[in-house]
Amino acid sequence: MNAIELRNLTKTYPQFTVDNVSLDIKQGYITGLIGPNGVGKSTLIKMMLGMIRPDSGSVNILGCDMPKQEVDIKQRIGIVSDDCFYYEHLSIRDTKKMIAPFYKKWNEKKFSSYLEQFELSPKKKIEELSKGMKVKFSLAVALSHEAELLIMDEPTSGLDPVFRRELLDLLADMMQDERNSIIFSTHITTDLDRIADYIAFINRGKLVFSEAKDEVLERFAIVKGDSQLLDSDIRTKFVGIRETAVGFEGLVDNRQEAERLFGNYAILDKPSLEDIMYFTAKGGRIHA
Amino acid sequence: MLNLLRKDFIALKSSLGLIIIYLAVFSIAFIPKQSSSIHLVGIYTAFASLSLVTMIDIKNHNHNFLVTLPISRKHIVQAKYITAIIFTLFGVLASYGIHSLVKVAVPELNKPDLTVMDILGPIGIVLALASIYLPLFYTLNKKGTGIINAVFFIIILALAQPTAIFMNMINENGFSSNLTLFLILIGILLFFIASCYLTIKLFTRKDL
Repeated sequence: MNAIELRNLTKTYPQFTVDNVSLDIKQGYITGLIGPNGVGKSTLIKMMLGMIRPDSGSVNILGCDMPKQEVDIKQRIGIVSDDCFYYEHLSIRDTKKMIAPFYKKWNEKKFSSYLEQFELSPKKKIEELSKGMKVKFSLAVALSHEAELLIMDEPTSGLDPVFRRELLDLLADMMQDERNSIIFSTHITTDLDRIADYIAFINRGKLVFSEAKDEVLERFAIVKGDSQLLDSDIRTKFVGIRETAVGFEGLVDNRQEAERLFGNYAILDKPSLEDIMYFTAKGGRIHA
Repeated sequence: MLNLLRKDFIALKSSLGLIIIYLAVFSIAFIPKQSSSIHLVGIYTAFASLSLVTMIDIKNHNHNFLVTLPISRKHIVQAKYITAIIFTLFGVLASYGIHSLVKVAVPELNKPDLTVMDILGPIGIVLALASIYLPLFYTLNKKGTGIINAVFFIIILALAQPTAIFMNMINENGFSSNLTLFLILIGILLFFIASCYLTIKLFTRKDL
């Protein structure tokens, strides 16, 4: 079953378009939504949340139609974003008083224990919190109403490495319940290397791929070799290629074909998600 | 819906004193000098309070916060219209209360006898203003709302004299004998309801 089903989502802005994106986010898994800045990840997430109305296409979350069943959906999801829109002049305690009554399954004990774990004082005002602390607070809110689906938009971008690790552990804990799902949008792909099960890659408003992370890392390969190996036909086999005076380094999306083509004349490495993102985003030839 | 009203008052918690200050400042400014001070104090306090709550919302990106909660945009708008009614009643009734006290405590100010129109008139005016203001608040962006707040403030200042004349005219003509005034109040109420529906439509379509 899918936690989120996007069908043919399109949203056009004067200088940017999310173009006909169809995507399934599997229930019970962590899906990483990756892509460079400004390619449509946040727009896509905002369309999932009903903050932006798509020009066409449909959004289905946990079996419910968005926006028709928006209220039911939002009872069951938690949202963590690097843009925390809380009332700055209020304390954590007052903000909790404001938010908690909206949720049917609010768990006060859980909330208090998360505040303790994250070392957040209820007396502290939102404006006094650092970006990382705000993310911790929104995570405490999201985890305290028994959310089945966490939608996280760049949650780790303002966090120190220690809390980033803690956060990833928390998410792994949440996934102990196999009904729970997480979609995690980020351009810091090392976080996803650790925890993601699936990867959806968005570039220039289009979905490049959505696959199991292990399959992606198996399918793609980084090829390194001497420039003499390249000709115009070979260059077309690369998703992206970076050429220097002494050689080249490029990404191919078919490892087996690359092995056949280059044999022992080039080195084939396993790419990281960052490599895949970099070469796909840059495309064509890059001269260094 | 109740949770949304609760939210507005929690957000206002540290600014509630400001509303009392508005009331005090407008009372001191208008009561000794203006014959229609009862209307002006009520209208100014009510609208300034509504502006205060919307400015707090805008400053804190309230719409973006609210749409993450399990509530519909329709209820978000309806709750703000109810908040407008609450502030209207507060401003107008507080002004009525202060003027009743002033009439007894400071008779030399020669304040006119208070009638039911001294309550209904300002309520009608504030609701009419809110009916224009709230659709703009929900449609415009942060910068636009800041401009609208400033524009409305100027409009309200400019409306002081016409309001005084209008309210005097109503008091002179009497309420129960004049069907037109009754129809105007009904018209304002319908305008307020229509404005609410329009705002729901606009806000539901708005991208945040």
